[in-house]
Formats: sequence, C-alpha cells, structure tokens
Amino acid sequence: MNHSLISVEGISKTFKLSKKQQKLTKVDSKYLKAVDNLSFNAYEGEIFGLLGPNGAGKTTALRILSTLIKPDSGDALVDGYSIITQPEEVRSKIGFLTGELKLEDFFTPNYLFDFFSSVHNISSSVREQRKEILFSRFGIDGFREVKVANLSSGMKQKTSLAVSLVHDPNIIIFDEPTNGLDVLTAKVVTDFLLELKESGKTIIISTHIFSLVERICDRVGILIDGQMEVCDRLERLTGKLSLEDLFFLLYQERKGENI
Amino acid sequence: MRRSNVTTIMKKEFARFFGDKRMLITLFLPGILIFVLYTIMGSAMTDMLSPDPDIPPTVYVVDIPHSLEKDSLWSWCEIMNAVDQSMIKQQISDKQADLLIVFPADFDEAVARYDVTTKLDAPNIELYYNPLEISSSNAYAITVSILDSYEATLANKFDLNRDIDGNLATPEELSASIISMLMPMLIITFLFSGTAGIGTESIAGEKERGTLGTLLVSPLKRSELALGKILSLAILSFLIGLVSSVSTILSLPRLIGATDAISVDIYTVKEYILLALVILSTLLLLVSLVTLVSAFAKSVKEASTAIMPLMIVVMVIGVSGMFGSASSGSWFYLIPIYNSVESMSALFALDYSSLNVVLAVISNVIYCFIASFILAKMFNNEKVIFSG
Repeated sequence: MNHSLISVEGISKTFKLSKKQQKLTKVDSKYLKAVDNLSFNAYEGEIFGLLGPNGAGKTTALRILSTLIKPDSGDALVDGYSIITQPEEVRSKIGFLTGELKLEDFFTPNYLFDFFSSVHNISSSVREQRKEILFSRFGIDGFREVKVANLSSGMKQKTSLAVSLVHDPNIIIFDEPTNGLDVLTAKVVTDFLLELKESGKTIIISTHIFSLVERICDRVGILIDGQMEVCDRLERLTGKLSLEDLFFLLYQERKGENI
Repeated sequence: MRRSNVTTIMKKEFARFFGDKRMLITLFLPGILIFVLYTIMGSAMTDMLSPDPDIPPTVYVVDIPHSLEKDSLWSWCEIMNAVDQSMIKQQISDKQADLLIVFPADFDEAVARYDVTTKLDAPNIELYYNPLEISSSNAYAITVSILDSYEATLANKFDLNRDIDGNLATPEELSASIISMLMPMLIITFLFSGTAGIGTESIAGEKERGTLGTLLVSPLKRSELALGKILSLAILSFLIGLVSSVSTILSLPRLIGATDAISVDIYTVKEYILLALVILSTLLLLVSLVTLVSAFAKSVKEASTAIMPLMIVVMVIGVSGMFGSASSGSWFYLIPIYNSVESMSALFALDYSSLNVVLAVISNVIYCFIASFILAKMFNNEKVIFSG
C-alpha cells in the first residue's frame, strides 16, 4: 500500500446552534456535533470518497482539512504538515474546491489564474505553461477574457477547477464535485478527477451520490451523524451488496428505524 | 509575513476598483460634483448680490441741493433730473429706472434752519425704488449710505477709525480661521464616506459572494490578507478623499464669495506634510474600523447599516472641531478620530504643536495595527467566514 498522504486523527467539531437552527433541525440540544472523533487515511494516488447524507459532517470534515475551520480536538496531517500548527503549508499543498467558494465576478479567468499563481508564488514561465495546459484541457481559451459574471455555471466550475490547480497540488480536496452541474460539465469534472489520479494525485471528495463513488473512488468512508461507520476499499466493503444497499443497511442500524 | 503577498492582494484590490467604471464614477463623482456645485452656487450668489458693473443704475433726482451736487458722490450711477415724477415711479416699478430721489426745494436752507429742540419736522428726502430689481435696491442702499454719512458730517461729535484700518487680523489669519473651521469636518466626512463605500464592498461584499473563502484556502497568511486589504483600501480612500478635499478647498473661496479674502497659499510645506500624515493615518484608522465592522456583517447591506452609528460618531466629532478645541492637553491627541479633527483644525489654523500632531499620527498607526491584528484573527474565525 502507498504511504498515507492525509491522516486524520480523531477530529471533532461542535457547532453552537441558534434558536432558529434548533427549530429547523428539531433538536433540543444547543450544540450540534458535526464531526465526532473522525479518523481516516487517504493514500497516495487514490481517490478517497466521504459518503454521507446531508448534515453528516462531510463538508465540515473537508473544511477542517483545508484549514478553513479548526477542530475542537484532534489533528490531521496533510503531506506531513499539521492543520493546526502549519495551516499555510497545508494550504500550499492542497487544491480545495467547493461550490461555496466562488471566484470574483469582476475578473476574467485569465486574471484570476495569474492572481492565484502569484498568491502561490509561481514563476511566470511555469504559470504560462500550466495555464496553456489547463485552459485548453477545460476549453477555457474561448472565454479566458470574459468576466466571471458573464460565464455560465459550467464555465465557472471549469474556471474554478483550473484556478484551484495553479500550484499543481499533489492533494485535491473536492467538496461535492458534481453538485449543481449539468451532465456534460459533471462528466468533464469526473473524467478530470480520474485523469488527476492517473497522474499520481491524491484526491478526497465528499458526496451523497452513490454512483459517483462507485465510478471513481478507490476507498470510501461512510459518514453518518459525524461518525465514520465504515471505511475501506470499495470492493471489500460492499461485497455482494451494492453501495446503496450497504449505506441504507448501516443507516438503519445506526438510527434503529426504517427509512 | 511576505511583502509580495501583501502587494499581490493590493494589486488585486486596485484592479477591482480601478477596472470598474461604475464603481469609479460613484466614488469620484461626489468630489467633482462638490467643485462644480460649490462653484456654481458661489458664482450664482455673487452674481445675484452684485449688479452688472457695465450698466450703471439710472437715478432720477428732483431739486438736488448744492451740498450734494458733487460729481464724485454720484459717479456710480447715471444721474438725471426728473421731469415727470409719476412717470419715473412707473418706470421704477416696471424695472426701467432704478431710483428716484426727491429733495425738498430748499433742502440746504431747511437743514441749516433745523433744530432738534424744536418740535418741527426735519426736512424729508423721499426715495423711491424697487427691491425686486437688484440694481434698484443697490442704488437705494448706496444712496442711503451717502445721505447717512452726509447727515453724520452735519453733526460730527466724534470719528470712528479715521484713517486707520482697525482690523488687526492678517488676511492669512482670516483665511486660516475660515478654513480651519470648515475643512476638518468636511475632510473627515469625505474620508469616511469613501472608506465606507469601498470597505464594505471589499470585505462584506467578498463574504457575501463567497470569494473571501477562495482567498482563505490559498496559502496566504491571514495577516497578509488583512494588511493587504487595509492598505489598498486606505490608498483608494485617500484618492477619493483627496479629490473631494481639493475640490472643496478650490471651490471654498467661490462659495463664500470672497475670491480674494481666502487663500490656501498661506500654508508652508511643513504644514502640508503634517496634514498629509494626519490624513493618511486617519484613513488607516477609518479603514480598519470599517473593515472590522464589515467583517462581522453578512452582506454589504448589513455592513452599511452597521456602519451608520460609526458614521454618526465620526461626524459629530468632526462637527465638534468647528467650535474650537476642548483641551490642548497632549493626552487628548490619543483619542482616535478626535485627535485627527483637532490636529487638522490646529494645522489649518496655523496654531499647532508638532508634538501633538505627531502623537495623533503615531497613535492612529498603532490603532490600525491593532485593528489589522484583530481582522486577521477574525479571518481565522469560522463564524466570521461562514456566517452567511
């Protein structure tokens, strides 16, 4: 087995709920344990999937990994750097993508690529080389000088992808990669993830789409209520069951109720 | 902290604001408008109050006495003997003529005969004019003053300021005093409104649109981001404040209608340098405050609302500068905003202590560093980033 590029060790995160949120989630407790003592590893060159329903803690876990938020306890090492004590180093090693983080409407893909390259201290020759490759790979050339505001959501997603890879990171963290994308753009994205894996990158995605996990993930962790139910290679987990059946089985066991 | 990262952020902010024509117009237009508006208002008011010098008022006179016949007295108007009084009155009310002066037939003798102790009426001069016509009311005012001073010479008991100019204030001091009353309040208001516009956009706007998060997952240090934002916003607001302030200074003499009386040539390089330092440090402080408030807000709208109380405080302190300083103690120059207004006021009045001004500048810079430290902490706080 390849060596572990990401190792998550017992991270927990609790959010305080507002009165309104308490009502919405129908919980009496003032606190919500979004991630509960979560541990897992992602190995070099694989695609690891965090699978779970909405509110299972997938996004929180990925935000912690990308150092956007800090865990209450536990730590994680990303390429050997601690997310707690070395957040800048961690961020320089990863490409983080999520629908919630957007590109400024006012700028063009070309400008944004240059801007994030300089944030990552990429020399201009390397930058131009990468830009050519990524822009032609995603067909951004046709709209490289069009302001983000005037791009379609598919074009925006492609631009986000290219921009998050300016520093050619070895680790890519992708929160809900195909959410809200049309089928064509979704295919571009999944194909690209497989391509990245081929080139030796390590990828963590979060999703609630079983077929996506089955199509691209090597290993999967099923997350329910902030806890890792199972985590292993896909074929070892499912056996004769489909991933969907396995998930509902686990969910039922956990909740003790029929869905 | 890497300086290049700070400059990268600053360049992006400049590209954002300078590349956006609409934004530029909304930011710089007020300053230009101030100049145009003040100038138009000023010259319109001056025009209204001063008659056209090319056309002297037409003054008709009946029985002008010998004592008041001197040409030098009436050189400002075209004086004619009135033939038909009622026709001239009609002309005045039709704004065709400006003034009719009717002296009693034996004015000089009547004046000489007159004694206040008798109960007889004093000789009476009749003046007919039309206050709706500027040249007419001016002619009236001038004539009244000519007659008043003639009356004064008849019973001269004492003189007032004969052959001396009693105004001991130099023209420079007069300029300085008017400028120092108005400018600090105006400058601090301009600075604040510019800062509020771009500060909310740059922080709360980026939060609202989810673009701040994209910056936060880059390897930038939070402090680099905070400092880059504050510095670029300070420079931008400086430009906005500069346009507004220069417009105001240039249009001020015209507004007050005293083109000669007010001059900004009275300040030396030292005052301008100190003034620039005060303004720049105040900007840093204002930008820090605005960015802090914006960072707490979820949207530009919320940020603008939250900034209102701050704006009111700043304006009130600004207005307080118009009414002289409460205390000249150096400690007061450590109070943010107040120190800026006081320093500007003192500098404009040419009555300042360099120590106090420098104290104000240094304390402002320190406050700014504290604020950027807090802002950096806030960028680390998930509640701030994901509060939307």
